[in-house]
Amino acid sequence: MWDYLLALVFGFCFGWLLQKAGLTKYHKIVNVFRFTDLSVLKFMLSALVVGMIGLYGLQDLGLLKLANITPTYIVGNIIGGLIFGVGMAGAGF
Amino acid sequence: MNKILAILKKEEWSPYWSGAALGVVAVLSVALSAHPLGASGSFENIGGLILRAIAPTLVANNLYFRFIMPPGITWQVILMVGVFCGAFAASRLSRTFRLAAVPDPQWRAVFGPSRWKRWIVAFLGGIILEYGAGIAGGCTSGLAIAGGVALAPAAFLFMGGMFASGILTAMLLYRSRY
Repeated sequence: MWDYLLALVFGFCFGWLLQKAGLTKYHKIVNVFRFTDLSVLKFMLSALVVGMIGLYGLQDLGLLKLANITPTYIVGNIIGGLIFGVGMAGAGF
Repeated sequence: MNKILAILKKEEWSPYWSGAALGVVAVLSVALSAHPLGASGSFENIGGLILRAIAPTLVANNLYFRFIMPPGITWQVILMVGVFCGAFAASRLSRTFRLAAVPDPQWRAVFGPSRWKRWIVAFLGGIILEYGAGIAGGCTSGLAIAGGVALAPAAFLFMGGMFASGILTAMLLYRSRY
């Protein structure tokens, strides 16, 4: 139950932030691939930087243990990414 | 208080700040819950649920639904309910919420006002996107961000592929307007 409540809270924050950053709009998504609006990159990379520092910082302080890191399948990840990009640039979501 | 309200009502936040806030949410999600912040998987969970109602044996024998994306109302589906509510609240608060068939001015300027054109491209794009996410093991949120913050190599391979083909697709769609 607690877990599902967390899902709702995290989801709410996630949706809120995507909306406020304008990433729910077609032109924001497609224009990152045209290099005319880099909002998607700015958003993703600042999330990554803060998240990386936060996670590994907390782990080094012994406050958190990183478990089940996404496994890597080199061919699958690249081919999946290549297919995903086609859909993303077309649909704009 | 009024200042906070003004910030909440603002239509657009800086992508740097909203991205940084998402980074905090990603850290909290790892600290408090065992699930990654994935988006695309929930649509597969629901898709499996619908398909199981139509063709139960097909889903029961399908390895993907059996081992990778079990049909059902999973944690990720609840997360998507939250995403919908959050985005809705944000757009209502900034008074930018509208119902429109072809909402984006850039799409209208480039591809015309036809609603079917937009909807078909969005639908096909969604299928391709989900298929790619299924092969890669996640999407921009569940793999690139949730995996990337844990420094999983998969996230960066995926992002490389996504941008390479995304740029090419945008070039082909926009041609001289690229």
